[in-house]
Amino acid sequence: MANKKVAIIASSGGLETAYKALNIATAAAALDAQVAIFFTFEGLQIIHREAAKMLRLKPENAGMEEGLKKINVPSVSQLLELAKESGVRLIACQMTVDAMGLQKEHFIDGVEFAGAAAFLDFAFDAQITLNF
Amino acid sequence: MSSIIETNHVLECEGLACPMPVIRTKKVMDAMQPGEVLEVRATDKGSVADLQSWAKRTGHQYIGLKEENGVFRHFIRKASDSEVKREVKFPQTISNDELLQKLAAGESVIVLDVREPAEYAFARIPGAVSIPLGQLEKRLDQLDPHKEYAVICRTGNRSDMACRILAEKGFAKLKNVLPGMSEWQGPTESN
Repeated sequence: MANKKVAIIASSGGLETAYKALNIATAAAALDAQVAIFFTFEGLQIIHREAAKMLRLKPENAGMEEGLKKINVPSVSQLLELAKESGVRLIACQMTVDAMGLQKEHFIDGVEFAGAAAFLDFAFDAQITLNF
Repeated sequence: MSSIIETNHVLECEGLACPMPVIRTKKVMDAMQPGEVLEVRATDKGSVADLQSWAKRTGHQYIGLKEENGVFRHFIRKASDSEVKREVKFPQTISNDELLQKLAAGESVIVLDVREPAEYAFARIPGAVSIPLGQLEKRLDQLDPHKEYAVICRTGNRSDMACRILAEKGFAKLKNVLPGMSEWQGPTESN
């Protein structure tokens, strides 16, 4: 599956989005696909240095917290490390970063900063595009 | 009690949720040699479908699954390039059907299975002798050069190599079984 590409947009915040986007991304990378995630608007929380404090379950999903612990899901920071290790590109939307008054230093290492066109350049050749 | 099936590597993923078993399997397989077998032990129910899909997509051989006390034991063999392009050089061959007829007629041919122990454990021709290709030269004393052998693997490559090794050692009555266990229609047994 060497030439498969998966393009993901993470535009919502919360722990739910983090898991949805990162689980698919890391699994796709394990299947030898090239993967890029474009983080924009609230999705930027996922790659923020303070993600552990910012990412919460929605109130209606609060009951899942125990379940997630029980089945031993990896932490978001572990998944991000695995994603980087397996070559997943983490792209922060420069426009929203600027609009939110954030700096590169606010984000974890290994994040690229780019605009919509850079992501689309990758996404045009992707067989799968997902928006979370 | 878990049964013992010899493999080259064991990866323990018990207690890990999706997608960790797949991610860790990929990492370990990348570092393995072609032809080696990995046992992945997982408790994630999703791993049953996931690791089979993963193997299919990445071109590796999913040998089989054993479920024991809530642990899913997956056996996967890393593919090698030589299996993709089949290279059969040993001239004496026998088809699966011909071998099946010989066995049914009670002819005194010994089936020598040169696949890995995990492959042999999941499905083999009843009575087949197991000597993995990599151990063949060390275990020649277990074979008799005067007897007739039908040498089999999954697709005919490893058995071809085994026939050539045995012919060099003076074995005269050898047949490479083609295509091999991948398309075997006769009876099988397992552990």
